[in-house]
Amino acid sequence: MTGADIAAVYPEIIVTVVAMIVLVADAVLDRRRAAFALPIITIAGLVVALAAVFNVVPAAQYFRGFVTIDAFTSFFRAVFIVLAIFAAAVSPAYLARRGVPAGEYYAIICFSTVGAMTIALSSDLITLFIGLETMTIPIYVLAGIQRTDRFANEAAIKYFLLGAFSSALLLYGFVWLYGVTKATDFATIANVLAAQGIANAPTIVALALITVGLGFKAAIVPFHQWTPDAYDGAATPATAFMSVGPKAAAFAAILRVLVGALGPLSVDWSAVLAILAAVTMTGGNIVALAQTNTKRMLAYSSIAHTGYILAAVAAAKAGPSAGAAVLFYVFAYGLMNLGAFACLLYFDLEGTRGASLDELNGFGRRQPLGALAFAIFLVSLTGIPPTIGFVAKFVVIQPVLDAGLAWLAVVIALNAVLAAFYYLRVVVHMYMYDAEEKVPRLVTGRTLSVSLGVASFAVVLLGILPNSIYQWALEAAQPLVR
Amino acid sequence: MTNVLSLLVVIPLAGLVPLFFFRRDERAAKQVAITTTLVELAVSLWMLKQFVVGEAGFQLVERVDWLPSLGISYLVGVDGISVLLVPMTTLLTFISVLYSSGGVIKTRIVEYMTAFLLLEVGMVGVFIALDLFLFYIFFELMLVPMYLIIGIWGGPRRIYATLKFVIFTLAGSLLMLVGIVAVYIQSADASGSRTLSLPELIELRGRFPGDFQFWVFLAFALAFAIKMPMVPFHTWLPDAHVEAPTAGSIVLAGVLLKAGGYGFLRFGLPLFPIGVQAWLPVLIVLSVIAILYGAIVSAVQKDLKKLVAYSSVAHMGFVTLGIFVLNLQGGVGAVLQMLNHGFVTGALFLFVGIQYEKTHRRMIADLGGLANLWPLFTTFFGVFVLASLGLPGLNGFVGEFLVLLGTFALPGAPLGGLFWGPLAAIGVILAAVYLALDVPARHVRTGARGI
Repeated sequence: MTGADIAAVYPEIIVTVVAMIVLVADAVLDRRRAAFALPIITIAGLVVALAAVFNVVPAAQYFRGFVTIDAFTSFFRAVFIVLAIFAAAVSPAYLARRGVPAGEYYAIICFSTVGAMTIALSSDLITLFIGLETMTIPIYVLAGIQRTDRFANEAAIKYFLLGAFSSALLLYGFVWLYGVTKATDFATIANVLAAQGIANAPTIVALALITVGLGFKAAIVPFHQWTPDAYDGAATPATAFMSVGPKAAAFAAILRVLVGALGPLSVDWSAVLAILAAVTMTGGNIVALAQTNTKRMLAYSSIAHTGYILAAVAAAKAGPSAGAAVLFYVFAYGLMNLGAFACLLYFDLEGTRGASLDELNGFGRRQPLGALAFAIFLVSLTGIPPTIGFVAKFVVIQPVLDAGLAWLAVVIALNAVLAAFYYLRVVVHMYMYDAEEKVPRLVTGRTLSVSLGVASFAVVLLGILPNSIYQWALEAAQPLVR
Repeated sequence: MTNVLSLLVVIPLAGLVPLFFFRRDERAAKQVAITTTLVELAVSLWMLKQFVVGEAGFQLVERVDWLPSLGISYLVGVDGISVLLVPMTTLLTFISVLYSSGGVIKTRIVEYMTAFLLLEVGMVGVFIALDLFLFYIFFELMLVPMYLIIGIWGGPRRIYATLKFVIFTLAGSLLMLVGIVAVYIQSADASGSRTLSLPELIELRGRFPGDFQFWVFLAFALAFAIKMPMVPFHTWLPDAHVEAPTAGSIVLAGVLLKAGGYGFLRFGLPLFPIGVQAWLPVLIVLSVIAILYGAIVSAVQKDLKKLVAYSSVAHMGFVTLGIFVLNLQGGVGAVLQMLNHGFVTGALFLFVGIQYEKTHRRMIADLGGLANLWPLFTTFFGVFVLASLGLPGLNGFVGEFLVLLGTFALPGAPLGGLFWGPLAAIGVILAAVYLALDVPARHVRTGARGI
C-alpha cells in the first residue's frame, strides 16, 4: 500500500470519517444541538467528499489491482454522494418528529454510501462483494430504524432475509466463476472467458447465479418480492434513500460484473436480460396501477424503472451508448425518485402510512410549491419533456434500438403510457380535487422545502440542458468497452 | 433581425417571471398574460412580414448546437406550411387569454395563465421546430398545460376527460419517440455520426429502407392520427372539448389538432415516402370515413358544444384527405383548411362559450329565439357557421374546395378520385344539414323555451 493508493480512495476515506464524526457528535452533543448539528456535519462532509471526487487521480489500478479508478468510478461516486446529500437534507424534520435516532440515521447513510462507492471502484470480485455488503448491511438497519414500528420491523426482516439469501447466491456464483477462470480480477476473467466462450456448464451456472443474485439486489422481476414491503414499511426518508442508493449501486455492480468481467458472454445472455427487462417494467407498472397508496405505488413504480435501466444493460452490444444510458438513467432516476418519495414527507404523520391518494386531495392549494415539486418529479418519472426523465428515456431507447431490440423499445413506450396513468392520477388528486373538511395538518421543514426546490429545478434544468451529464456518462461508460 | 423565431419561444417564458412575482395579485396576473400574448402576436406578425413569399426552403433559420454528444441541435425555421400557422396560434392564444380574463375563470387565475403561457411555448415551438428532438419536446410540452386546463377549470366530467386525453395522446407520442430514435439510428453515416435535423434527414432519406419506413411511419402516423384526431382515434375529442373551459376548447380545436396535420405534412410525407405509399389506402379510407362519420354524428347532437366538436372530426378528415391525395391542390387545400378551421372553429367555440355563460344553456333545442335577443351576436354566429360548412365566399370554402379538387384528381379506378371525391362531397352537404339548417334556424325561430 502506497501513498498513491491512499490518495486514490480519498473520497471513500472522507465519507467514512464523516460517518464517525457524526457518531461521536451524536454522543457528545445534547439532543437539541445534535438535531441541529448532525445534518450540517453530514452535508458539509459529503460536499467535501464530492469535491475530492473531482480531484482526479490518474486512471489506473490501485491496491495491487483490487481497485480501479476511472471515469466510471468518478461518475458513480458523484451520483452516490449527491443522492446521500439529498437524502440527508430532506430528513431532519421527519427524524425529529418521529424520534428516530438521528446520529445512527446519518451515519448509516454515510456508511452505506461508502459501500456503494466501493462497488464503483472495484476491479475484483472480492472488492465488489465487500462493497456490496458494506452498502447493504447499513440499509437493513435503516429499514428497521423505527424500532417500535411493526411495519418497519417487517420491512427490515424481509429485506435482511432476502438480502442475505441473494448475497449467498451471488457469492456462490462468484465461486463458480473462480472455478472456471481461476481468477478474481475482472480483466483476467474477461480474457479467459473470451477465450473459452459460454459453451460449458460451469460458466452457465456461474452466470445464472450471478444474474439472480444481482437481480435480487436491483429488484428485477421475479426477484423483487421484498421491494414493496421493505419500501412501504420503512420510514419515508429511509425509503427515499433505499429506493435510489442501493439500486444505483446494484447497477454499478451489474455493469462491473455482467458488462465488464462477463462482457465476452454478452451476446449470449443479452436475450435473457432483455426478457427480464420487459417482464420487470411491465410487472412493476401493472401492479403500481392497482395501488391506492402513494408510497406503495412509488415502490412498485421503482421496480418498473429497474426494467428500463435493465433494458439498456441488455443492449450492451450497442457499445458505450448503452453504458452511458444506464449511468444517465440511474442518475436521473435517483434524483426524481428520491424527490418523489421525499414529497410524501409532507404527509407522513403518526399512524398514517404513505399517504393514500385521497389524502393528497387539494395538496396543490395547501402547499403550492411542494405540490409543484411533486408534480415535476412525477412528470419526469413519466418521461414527459422538458425533464430529465424524458432525456433518460430517450438515451435508453437509443441503444436498445441500436442493439436490434425494436420490440423492447416498443414495450418501453407502452409501459410509459401505463406509468403515465398512475403518475398523473396523483397530479389529479393534488390539483383537481379539493381537500376534505378535516385533513391532517401538513408537516413542513425548511431543509425539506429547499432541497425539494433545488432538486425539482435540477430535474427541469438538466432536462433542457442534459449535454454535460450525458457527455460525462459517455466517458464513464468508455472503460466498460473492451 | 434573425432571431425572431427564438423570440417567439422566449416571450411566453419571460412572461412567466412577472407572473410568479404577481402570484397573489389576480388583476396583475391577467394584465401580464394579456400583455405577453399581445406582444407575442405582434412579434409573430413581424415574423410574417420578414418571410419572403415564393422563396423555396426554410427561412429565418436559427441553429445552435444543443446536445453535441448526441448530434442534436436547436434548429428552428419556417416555410410556407408553418408561416401562417404561427400567427394563427398567437392570435387564438391572445383571444383565449383575453376572453378568460373577463371573469369567466373564477379560481386560480395565476395558475391558469401560467398554463396558457406554457401552452403557447409548446404550440409555437411545434410549428417552428426543425429538429425532431426539439419537435418532440414542444409536442409534449403542449400536453401537460392542456391536461391541467381541462382537469382544473373544466366541466363536471373533467377528470375523466382529461385523463383520457392525456393517455390517448401519450400512447401515440411515446410510440413516435421510438420512431424518432429509430430515425436517429438509421441516419448514421459511415463515420457513425447521427442527426435528427429535418433538412439533413430529407437529404439522406435514401438510407431508410422500405420495411423501416413502413413501421416507423406507422409510429409517427399513430401519434399524429391521435392528435388530429383521425377516426377511430377520435373518441377522446368530444369528451375533452365538452369538458374543457371555453378558452381550452378554442386552443385545443384551433391549434392542438393542427399539430397532427402539420406533423404529417412536415415529417411524415418528406421522411417516409415509401411508408406513406404503403399506408395510403388505409389513410384515405379513414379520412373519408372521418368526413362522413363526423358529419353524421354532428347532425344528431343535441349539445351545441358537442356538435362543434364532432364537426372538427369531419374538418380534420378533409385535412388528412388533402394531405394523402398527394397532389398540389390537396396539399394546399389541407394547409388552408387547417388555418381556416383554426379561426372558424375557434370562433364557434367562443360563441358557444359566451352563449353558455349568458344563458347557461347549451342544448340546441333550448336556444330558440336567441336572434331576437341578440341580433348582432347571432348574425356573427351565423356567418361563422356558414364559413364552417364551406359556403363559397367565406374562408372555409377555399380549403374544402381545393381538397375536393385534389381528391377528384386522384388516379386509379374503380377506387380512385371518382369514387372518393363524391363521397367527400356528400360530407359537405351533410355539414350544411346539421350546421345551416339546424343551429341558426333555431336562433331565428321564436321562443321554443324563452331565455
